Amino acid sequence: MTIVHHPPDELLTAFAAGMLDLGQHIAVATHLTGCRHCRRVVHAMEHVGGGVLTALPATAMSPGALAAVETRLDGLAPAVATGLRKAATGITDVPGLPPFVRDYPSSSWKWIAPKVHLRPIRMPEASATRVFLLKSQPGTKMIEHTHTGFEMTCILTGSFAHAGGHFGPGDFDFGDGATDHEVMIDSSEDCICLVAMQGELKLNGIIGRLLQPLIRM
Amino acid sequence: MLNDKPDDATSDAARWAALIAAVAREKDREAFAALFTHFAPRIKTFMRRSGASEQSADELAQEALLAVWSKANLFDPNSAGASAWIFTIARNLRIDALRREKRTRTAGTDDIDLEFQVDDGPSPDAGLAAAQTESRVRSALATLPDDQLRVIELSFFDDRAHAEIAQTLQIPLGTVKSRLRLAMNRLRGLLGDFS
Ligand SMILES: [Zn+2]
Repeated sequence: MTIVHHPPDELLTAFAAGMLDLGQHIAVATHLTGCRHCRRVVHAMEHVGGGVLTALPATAMSPGALAAVETRLDGLAPAVATGLRKAATGITDVPGLPPFVRDYPSSSWKWIAPKVHLRPIRMPEASATRVFLLKSQPGTKMIEHTHTGFEMTCILTGSFAHAGGHFGPGDFDFGDGATDHEVMIDSSEDCICLVAMQGELKLNGIIGRLLQPLIRM
Repeated sequence: MLNDKPDDATSDAARWAALIAAVAREKDREAFAALFTHFAPRIKTFMRRSGASEQSADELAQEALLAVWSKANLFDPNSAGASAWIFTIARNLRIDALRREKRTRTAGTDDIDLEFQVDDGPSPDAGLAAAQTESRVRSALATLPDDQLRVIELSFFDDRAHAEIAQTLQIPLGTVKSRLRLAMNRLRGLLGDFS
């Protein structure tokens, strides 16, 4: 798998800093699952975070804080590594998702337009960013749309092309409000993407009108 | 400070790693107190700048150090620097605190730890890569000018802190943001290619 399109540096830094909402976090985490290069950038940014933390000025702790903490130490059991839980009913049939997303409750594909199915990702947290899987059959041409917020797309299987380039498995497509897409699915297999989207969609055409109420869910 | 000579930073990092190892191995309370004295007041500042009240910033800093105690056995000096590791603890506590504030979650930080676990396990060369990363980051930070270091800090806080820092540096917020982009590019260049 050769990854050509990566998230911008600001996004990887925001991920490492813990500044993303859960929906955005899921999109970046999905890219990281398949991209060792970006995992190392995030790791480097966590080291920068350590440097930033160490360089912050000290704020005096409340009197007796250390003593109060020390009395609680004996009651603490050593932590156990957060192993991966086995998800019996999770999203186990879609490749390329990070382990924690695979653990989310599964939902079923919904037909939204000819050759296009959508499957919502049910997050355990309220998030300003919606996340869903989109499955398009070969040859599907998505109608152009614009939106007022950003859109992050992680390609899991298949491929598509638009004015911004060609996107295959592992690639990350970042669109802000200014981007207009006319997307052509050009793989011979289904193209499954994880999409994280914020802002109101202004979709044009028939697919847009069909998608709009579903994505608002 | 961030731009101390790399030698100082290296010995500091080694010292903190040794203290965490002593906590893990022997439940060494003196080592813990030393970690508390250095990190708790800085984590408190980190939480204050993230919008926490005086009292909850204090509590979160205490929680972070309790986590350092109980997770010390999971600290792997080959795959993370001590301050980077403590930073991730503070970061995940901050996320948890923000979620609690919105009353959407009471599950604690274990789930958040999982959310940062993006692959099925460390790659075989993870240890080597981490050691390289740490020394690269350290020397990259050491070469950055002060004003760029100051804005790098901004990436770790939200707009509230950006406005505050713009005020301290007496420059417009727009300038802070463009300076941040510049500093990130510079840092990225210094860190080199990770592929
Ligand atoms: Zn990447």
